[in-house]
Amino acid sequence: MDKNQDVQEQLHATMPVTRYQATIKAWCIDAVLWSYSVLVIYKLVYQSWYLNLRHLDFSWSEPLACGIAGIIVASGLIYTRLSVGKAITGLIEFKDGESLFRTAAVRLGLVFLLLTFLAGLQVSQVSMREFFSDSGLTGAQRIFTALLTPNMSIFEDALFAAIETVYMAFIATAFAIPVAFILAFFAARNLMKHSALSFAIYATVRFFMNLTRSIEPLVWAIIFSVWVGIGPFSGMLALFLHSVASLTKLYSEQIEAISDGPVEAMTATGAHPIQVIWYGVVPQIVLPYLSYTIYRWDINVRMATVIGLVGGGGIGTMLMQYQGLARWNEVGTLVIMIAAIVWIMDYASAKIRAHLK
Amino acid sequence: MHLLTADKLVKTYPNGTQALKEVSFSVDEGEFLVVIGLSGSGKSTLLRCINQLHPVTSGTIQFEHLALNNLQGKALRQQRSRIGMIFQQFNLIPRKTVLTNVLAGALASTPVWKSLLGLYSAEQKRQAMKYLSIVGLDHKAYVRADNLSGGQQQRVAIARALMQQPKILLADEPVASLDPATSHSVMKYLQKINQELGVTVICNLHFLSLVRTYATRVIALKDGSKVYEGSPTDIDEQWFQTIYGEDAVEVSIN
Ligand SMILES: Nc1ncnc2c1ncn2[C@@H]1O[C@H](COP(=O)(O)OP(=O)(O)O)[C@@H](O)[C@H]1O
Ligand SMILES: [Mg+2]
Repeated sequence: MDKNQDVQEQLHATMPVTRYQATIKAWCIDAVLWSYSVLVIYKLVYQSWYLNLRHLDFSWSEPLACGIAGIIVASGLIYTRLSVGKAITGLIEFKDGESLFRTAAVRLGLVFLLLTFLAGLQVSQVSMREFFSDSGLTGAQRIFTALLTPNMSIFEDALFAAIETVYMAFIATAFAIPVAFILAFFAARNLMKHSALSFAIYATVRFFMNLTRSIEPLVWAIIFSVWVGIGPFSGMLALFLHSVASLTKLYSEQIEAISDGPVEAMTATGAHPIQVIWYGVVPQIVLPYLSYTIYRWDINVRMATVIGLVGGGGIGTMLMQYQGLARWNEVGTLVIMIAAIVWIMDYASAKIRAHLK
Repeated sequence: MHLLTADKLVKTYPNGTQALKEVSFSVDEGEFLVVIGLSGSGKSTLLRCINQLHPVTSGTIQFEHLALNNLQGKALRQQRSRIGMIFQQFNLIPRKTVLTNVLAGALASTPVWKSLLGLYSAEQKRQAMKYLSIVGLDHKAYVRADNLSGGQQQRVAIARALMQQPKILLADEPVASLDPATSHSVMKYLQKINQELGVTVICNLHFLSLVRTYATRVIALKDGSKVYEGSPTDIDEQWFQTIYGEDAVEVSIN
């Protein structure tokens, strides 16, 4: 009975606080949503449609004014059923059996979504007129005809460039494997959580890997092309760095998912820690590792072609050069070549990975 | 002198759980000691404290003339290798053959570099096959261990433990994941290595009927304390209720 009372008291003590916090959260969400909507309505409906301005200016006073308007509207609506924030934070209870769309807040949310859609159309300048205009259609015809009558005299060069791309991706993957293999043990929570020092190492490795991964290989390629010069080497470095980060993450997730049983059993036989890892951990991770690594190579080949566009070497660089000269027949050859490589890599890697199951 | 003596073992987990409270007992050579108790009473913790998979909070484990809880590194691994262990979930190495699994029992006596390359001596392989035939699985030596049935996997685990040529075998609820008939077969193998190879056994069990059939001596744990020690035939209704609680009814497994 005592225990029950405790729980009751705790509930009473904490409930108002969490409710209070949730209301503040809901109000913040509402304020942001309404500020955003007022801004979109002002820009889209007033400036773009009503005034028919072609070029929209930006000034800090507009978002500021809209922000204040949004806060006022949100404050006015916070205790009504029109608060989207309260629906999101769970403060509005949905009745069983009642359709979600009958709830005012949900309907309002849909209006916001529609607004975003319309603004999106406007911003990306979707215009059917241009898509089907005469000059547009002849342009399309010209480029497609050229692409479909590829210039086979550059076939040999294209092939060499393609081989360069595949090898570049392969070397990047191959160099990334040992580095990621070792880093993965330091990035695995279950191995590193036991002391403060090891946890600090874990957190540091994780942080830098996440940072590296969040920067696109394309950006890395630009950085490295300044560092080591334009060519396959800079592309390789970019892919290598990105692969280390991704493989470390995937590998360490595998280590975190192993079952402790074999590790415990090997420890109990009196095995050396290296033997414990080799016999207790490695057999559990080898296949997923292989599978991820092959997949990574596959991704790297695809990325390598894109990286070539910014001077990372290989077939992408060649494509960029011919595109700059508007020689669409040659571009056609290259596009077909790229499609073929990507398809072959995709097919082969899927087949191999299926066998590894 | 006893083969193994536990003196006032206390184990408190980092989260504050008191899993063992001053547990003392000893085991003589050739005994088949069974530890019983409700789930959560500390049986697994007790076995893991014996071979130091979990460090004890206080108290001592005396194995022959060595205090195991003071050992570290190589000395600890050496003593661990003389204590075999089998588990409820078998804990075999997945994707490896039965033979490789049994050979893993010899890791402590194999140089690290050789074991990384899988270079076991002909003598070690001969022994592994011998232990496999003791548990009746020599014809499965080259089958992947995870393709075997539960009972067979536990027998491979027994062979792996024998490969250590242990003085003691620790068995943590070895039959809890098996059906009744298979349970008896696995228990009979444990009895065989106890009686014929002279390996002392400490075994956690759940079912009293198995205890009466296989144990030479019993201790019972309740909430981390030892509440009973004696011969399996002396466990009567009253003891049963002290151990398992007022409302317990004896279920038997045949
Ligand atoms: N690694 C651990 N960390 C914290 N508490 C644990 C751990 N392992 C077991 N315990 C707790 O210790 C007590 C004894 O557990 P255990 O030895 O597994 O009992 P049994 O094997 O008899 O079921 C239980 O209360 C359990 O929750
Ligand atoms: Mg247990």
